[in-house]
Amino acid sequence: MLTRFYDFNPSFSPLDELRRRFDRVFEDIDREPAPREAASVAVGPRVNLYDRGAELVLTADVPGLSEKDLQITLDRESLTIRGERKVTPPEGYTAHRRERESLKFARSFTLPAKVDPERASATVKDGVLTLTLAKAADAQPRQIAVKSALCPGNCEE
Amino acid sequence: MTMETKIATSDTGKAERVSPRAYVAPPVDIYENGDSVLLFADLPGVRTEQLSVSVDKGELSVVGERRAESVGARLGREYGEFDYRRTFVLPEGVDASKIEAELSQGVLRVKIPKAERAKPRKIEVKGA
Repeated sequence: MLTRFYDFNPSFSPLDELRRRFDRVFEDIDREPAPREAASVAVGPRVNLYDRGAELVLTADVPGLSEKDLQITLDRESLTIRGERKVTPPEGYTAHRRERESLKFARSFTLPAKVDPERASATVKDGVLTLTLAKAADAQPRQIAVKSALCPGNCEE
Repeated sequence: MTMETKIATSDTGKAERVSPRAYVAPPVDIYENGDSVLLFADLPGVRTEQLSVSVDKGELSVVGERRAESVGARLGREYGEFDYRRTFVLPEGVDASKIEAELSQGVLRVKIPKAERAKPRKIEVKGA
């Protein structure tokens, strides 16, 4: 870091500002990769998976897709999301920039716990798909009672 | 002398943006015809009240805040918390007061009508 020499002369303050901006440029480079880059690695939408105890929650970015554009298949341990998005230019317009892609994807996941396919639900809101998958009864977290080791079985003191 | 004053004032009035959250530029499509310019942007996870579309000094800014997902323990993560932010320079001859924006299914659509004087018109050629 440079020392700030020009505290008394305001006409140099833009230079300080400039220096600060350069510092920020490098901060940006050092920062962990932006979420955008993850998109180029993943085929299909970016996905987050959470464990809520009794259920698994999966969220995926699906901008512009509605319920009917998505197909979700589920068995006890794996999940497949299929979807298709067609980006069609509006009638009578010429394109200046096309960054949003038409895409057709299928992503499969092995779930970390067995789920009950009967009790799964999916919603699409604001371009985000949320899948709630209830865990199968044998995969639910359960409390294990701790017994005293001194008197296994029944203690009658 | 004039040069000095210019340096000193060039940056006043523009506050530096400081945000601890990362931001990404959403992918956009831009289309144009004789009447208007259309802009589409993918903003999944943004609700209407978290989105701001503004025009200032000939620039159109789109800022969308993505709310945190407050659910359980994280098992796998391909994206974190971030905001969407992108700024466009508006072309000459658009009517900034008539810009319309709508958000549906995570896709923003902005319609920027052209000013009457900038629309293409046909000029009739008269015989002499």
